[in-house]
Amino acid sequence: MSLKRTLELSLALANAEFKLRNEGSYLGILWYMAEPVLTFLLLAGVFSKSLGQDIQSYPLYLLVGIIMFKLFQKITTDCTKIIRDNRFIIKSIKFPTEALVNTVILKTLYSHVFEVLFLIGVVLYYGGPTEGLVFYPIVLVPFVIFTAGVSFTLAALTVYFTDVEYIWIFLSRLLWLGTPIFYTIEEHGSIFLLNLLNPNYYFITIARDLAVYNRIPEPWMIAGMIGYSALSIAAGVIIFNRFKPKFSEQI
Amino acid sequence: MKRIVVENVWKKFSIGYTGRQRALSKFISMFSGREPKKEFWAVKGVSMTAEAGEILGLIGENGSGKSTLLRLIAGIYAKDKGKIETDGRIISLINLNIGLKDRLTMRDNIYMCCSLFGLGKRMVDERFNAIVEFTELEEYVNTKLYQFSAGMAQRLAFSIAVHCNPEILLLDEVFEIGDESFKKKSTERIEGLVGEGATVVLVSHDLPLIERHCSRVAWMDRGVVVREGNSTRIVEEYGRHEKKG
Repeated sequence: MSLKRTLELSLALANAEFKLRNEGSYLGILWYMAEPVLTFLLLAGVFSKSLGQDIQSYPLYLLVGIIMFKLFQKITTDCTKIIRDNRFIIKSIKFPTEALVNTVILKTLYSHVFEVLFLIGVVLYYGGPTEGLVFYPIVLVPFVIFTAGVSFTLAALTVYFTDVEYIWIFLSRLLWLGTPIFYTIEEHGSIFLLNLLNPNYYFITIARDLAVYNRIPEPWMIAGMIGYSALSIAAGVIIFNRFKPKFSEQI
Repeated sequence: MKRIVVENVWKKFSIGYTGRQRALSKFISMFSGREPKKEFWAVKGVSMTAEAGEILGLIGENGSGKSTLLRLIAGIYAKDKGKIETDGRIISLINLNIGLKDRLTMRDNIYMCCSLFGLGKRMVDERFNAIVEFTELEEYVNTKLYQFSAGMAQRLAFSIAVHCNPEILLLDEVFEIGDESFKKKSTERIEGLVGEGATVVLVSHDLPLIERHCSRVAWMDRGVVVREGNSTRIVEEYGRHEKKG
């Protein structure tokens, strides 16, 4: 199957899914922002005067962390079910099943646009510099590549091991708490060392450096970001291709 | 010109098997949700060919391997042994399941399903009117599918499939669909495709239909092709076997 066909199909399915998500809803796209906005308001209200007290531009620091982590969590969690949810079609038509994972990524990215718009609104509200936001896509691209790699891996493994779906729900919640999203960590502390193994830490920190603090990220962080992206997508593609010939029999 | 060549193809599945389980094994299965599996050969050394411009029928009892063979030809299942060669764009219509979404309009469903069959947006644009016209549902183009009757949805699925340039059309219990006039129309369309050089493989339990439309028939039993040849003769033999059965 050609890459062009896979991409065309991914776009067509993502457009259909996007329409399905809005279908019959009065508030439509406003719902996209509901979760990150409410999470942001809640955490900002609770932690601004405690965990966030010593963090410069805490609301922006918090919001960048929330929208990036939610993007990762939404895509990866949805991908654990994507193959089984489409079992009837997989058993009826030969098509590139990679497109199903791409569809989840694309439709979540559509929603992410509205979250970024909200971020711009918050930056403007707090009178922060907006020029750094121009660099956000520079982090978003490798972040999506990394997320795609994890998603391909999860999508394939869940077909064979249903438990992966439940394990991932639990693990992603642990990651939410373990990643410095609503708090900060001291360098060289134990949580910092653990976070060196947490790819999300690199992406979120770099995004904050660029979009919130207008500073150039540290080179080792950039190397970590590129390394984790490459490793993740390579592993994801290899695992998915290894397992996909038997998807139709396993679901 | 041979459009499909199947040579000594074998296919096995790992199927759930709860018989002869010991008490401990049953107890573990109950909590883990896993059950013991055993190998099941659904297709055993099948060989056959299908020429351009012919309708090949596949008959046999439930579980004889007909649908599995269809999915193997379509590339939906991976074979374990043997060789399958196909020449041409394959469109599979298995129980009319082409991924139609109830909450999307007919228009959106056409674009989405054609993409699944490998058509780019420009190609769908070109065929869109023909697809709609064939369904005779022009006034419902912007209606969501949950408001369609089952027959209307079937018309749409069929129309999409036959307008996606099939050179090999694999039909599982799908041929004459809808009301009498649409049955005639769908049959004419398939015969038109065959006349243009397409190959159709039709799986069905409807023996008169098979006899009416297929030039050749293969009778499958427990994963093996037991008879193959002229449709009237094979259908007659199968009919006698069924009566005895």
